[in-house]
Amino acid sequence: MTKRPLEGLRVADFSWFGAGPIAAQTLCTFGAEVVRVESETKLDSLRVVQPFALNEDGTFKTGYNVSGYFNNFNAGKLGIQLNLNTEKGQELGYRIVEKSDIFLTNFTPRVVEKWNLRYEQLAAVNPRIIAAYAPMQGMEGPHRDFLGFGAVLTPVTGISHMSGFPTRPPIGVGTNYPDYVVNPGHTITAVLAALRYRNRTGKGQCVELPQLESVVNVLGSAVPEYLANGDSPTRGGNRSPVAAPHGAFRCADDESSTNSPDRWIAIACKTDAQWRALCEAFGHPEAAADDRFNTFDARKANEDALDALVSSWTAGRRAEDVMELLQSRGVAAGVVQNAEDILDKDPHIRARQYYTYLDHPETGRAAYDGPAFRLSDTPGYHTGPAPLLGEHTMEVCERVIGLEMDEIADLLAEGVLM
Amino acid sequence: MTDRALEGVRIIEVCDETGSYAGKLLADLGADVIKVEPPGGGIERKTGPFLKGAEPGPDTAIGFWAHNSSKKSVVLDLDTAEGQARAKQLVLSADVLLEDNPPGWLAARGLGYAALHAEHPRLVYTSITGFGQDGPHAGYAYSDIVGQAMGGVMTLAGEPADPPNMIYGNQGNISASINAAQGTLVALLHAESTGQGQHVDVSAQESLSMSQETAMQTWDLQKRNRIRTGERGAIPIALPATGIYECKDGYVSLFVLAPAGEDTPSLIDWMRDCGMAEDLDEEPYASLIPQLNMAWITQVMGNIELATQHVPALAHIHAVMQRFFRSLGAKEAYEEGQTRRLLVGLVSTPKDLGENTQLRARGWFPQVEFDYLGRSIEFPGGPYRLSETPVQIGRPPRLGEHTAEVLASLG
Repeated sequence: MTKRPLEGLRVADFSWFGAGPIAAQTLCTFGAEVVRVESETKLDSLRVVQPFALNEDGTFKTGYNVSGYFNNFNAGKLGIQLNLNTEKGQELGYRIVEKSDIFLTNFTPRVVEKWNLRYEQLAAVNPRIIAAYAPMQGMEGPHRDFLGFGAVLTPVTGISHMSGFPTRPPIGVGTNYPDYVVNPGHTITAVLAALRYRNRTGKGQCVELPQLESVVNVLGSAVPEYLANGDSPTRGGNRSPVAAPHGAFRCADDESSTNSPDRWIAIACKTDAQWRALCEAFGHPEAAADDRFNTFDARKANEDALDALVSSWTAGRRAEDVMELLQSRGVAAGVVQNAEDILDKDPHIRARQYYTYLDHPETGRAAYDGPAFRLSDTPGYHTGPAPLLGEHTMEVCERVIGLEMDEIADLLAEGVLM
Repeated sequence: MTDRALEGVRIIEVCDETGSYAGKLLADLGADVIKVEPPGGGIERKTGPFLKGAEPGPDTAIGFWAHNSSKKSVVLDLDTAEGQARAKQLVLSADVLLEDNPPGWLAARGLGYAALHAEHPRLVYTSITGFGQDGPHAGYAYSDIVGQAMGGVMTLAGEPADPPNMIYGNQGNISASINAAQGTLVALLHAESTGQGQHVDVSAQESLSMSQETAMQTWDLQKRNRIRTGERGAIPIALPATGIYECKDGYVSLFVLAPAGEDTPSLIDWMRDCGMAEDLDEEPYASLIPQLNMAWITQVMGNIELATQHVPALAHIHAVMQRFFRSLGAKEAYEEGQTRRLLVGLVSTPKDLGENTQLRARGWFPQVEFDYLGRSIEFPGGPYRLSETPVQIGRPPRLGEHTAEVLASLG
């Protein structure tokens, strides 16, 4: 295997839930050694949240190591159990930071303070450290201690108000969307920029990613429109200012699609030529000449009728067939895929081998998201599955921190290590 | 003068809406990003909203501004030999090429990876597309909603009775751009230490995959598809103290049943303080309320006898809470609820965000000077705060503003 770009770097991963661990996992796939610091006394709840691996009889496996939610964000890391509620635990935490290049956490500002993990404290131990914090709203400010657990932060960021149909209340997008790409991806963008700065100057720094500020950046023109024009836009469903038709159109049901038989095709026509190609593909070239639909402005003005017409053409057809029919004529169209489609059926995802299957001692062989960007000469990859809780406590203590066996035994007995 | 993290990095960006956010992230961190645009500009320049009180056009498109701060603009027609030759000169002078064209489009113009890599081996060449550079769908036509559909996030969003919902803000493009920024920086660090450039391939479909949350693993481990469950979530009744509540002038989202923050009795205290607790201090509600949490609800809903017994009382408690929240302003409900350590989130509108107490107190909205409009306009600040090398939001360029200057520098 080629040497990966981040080999030789070590990451002290004091994070939990989604955004922090995903950020560290990205560094891990490109070669950094990531030490994930955990403790049963403040357990990462994702370890005990569904989906769990199944036993052969179909019952759920139990324990701290069988959640696909946790495992997918922690592949290839070293796991140490360290009780940061103890003074000695915090001291050992500093010794990991001392031997690291990057520190990551998304603990709340209160916990960061309680455990003495503030930037000034870490920089006193290791002035070259790049320390990244991802609080909900900021390490300072009047809403610093506002709670943002789970489904509460997403609405605060504006995603919920702006997404979905205007006929519905702001129901959100079905997931804690900002946690998975936007916040970890922004964090790592900043950390890599800080690494480049350190390479040139030798200086570490503090990186703060207030999740609110991070997400408002990806709301397109919504907030800038308010700031510039004083207008406050609202959600517009599946429609677009630059394409018509634009939406998800119902196709024939498919009972073989597991507990998800309704099938839909997403279609976007940005040009008159694409609209004509769509009409011809469905055998209705006359619709392209219809003066309700023959220009973009006309299609936008008659969009309810347009959507009804396109729906009448997609109804009863297999979604996959509609996708191929339209794509063969250069019209952007894609099946609204569920996870079964993506993992087991999508020939493209399989050909590109996006998912990695890793053997895990408790879950068995399981799928992990692969690196989401491909480097042609120094690709990233997973070196192993997620760590069991405390799996590498001994290894990290010996090799990274440099403790002797009798010291480790004492710390285990005192409940500092677990 | 403050230090910039990406000082001295020259990036040529041949992107429209799919990749322009990647260029913005790198430009705001200090890279010299030169955006090569077609005559007339791309889709972002032509899409409203436009600045009020000014001529609608490529230099007043607010969506363009949001994704193109701190860049320079050079207009080149890449369908002409002259434009291609100039673009090639530019790329050979740069550290990075960021591009979001269909696979093969730049290669047909003499600007493909193989040709440029041969002449400029240190070059980081980042391609941002719907489906990536290879594979059976590499040539598929892409639009953001198609990426969201194929990437598995739409199937999770919306009411079961409605079509699946797309997420606002072109999140396929955004996800690909954020991954492209990271991939470009990893490759740049490698090129700066070894002299070796490479091709960074980013697919919007793959970039969205992680945002399926647990759907991928649920299929993999349990052979069950997660589906869209709308407002109710997985539990088929309206639960008290959880979900969307309408206020006088907007909405809040509650998650008081979660094992964080204060519990439901604290919400009842607040309602009582406002004289809005109605009969909730009476039975059967009074003894039910202290039990209300996610674990108890899950147990009740899994047992038909218990559910039949408790659902009417739960519905009543929910209705009283609905009346309480309808008596409050949404922002007031958010700030007072959070002060009481209750999990209450404001469903923020763009106006709410523009006026957000926290963002204002931290001075997050920089004034960007628009000399050609004779005024300054507030922008969102960066997504992150770097203590030594802070993000700076520079004015987005007018179409072709730097064409003469940049081409002259090439000689």
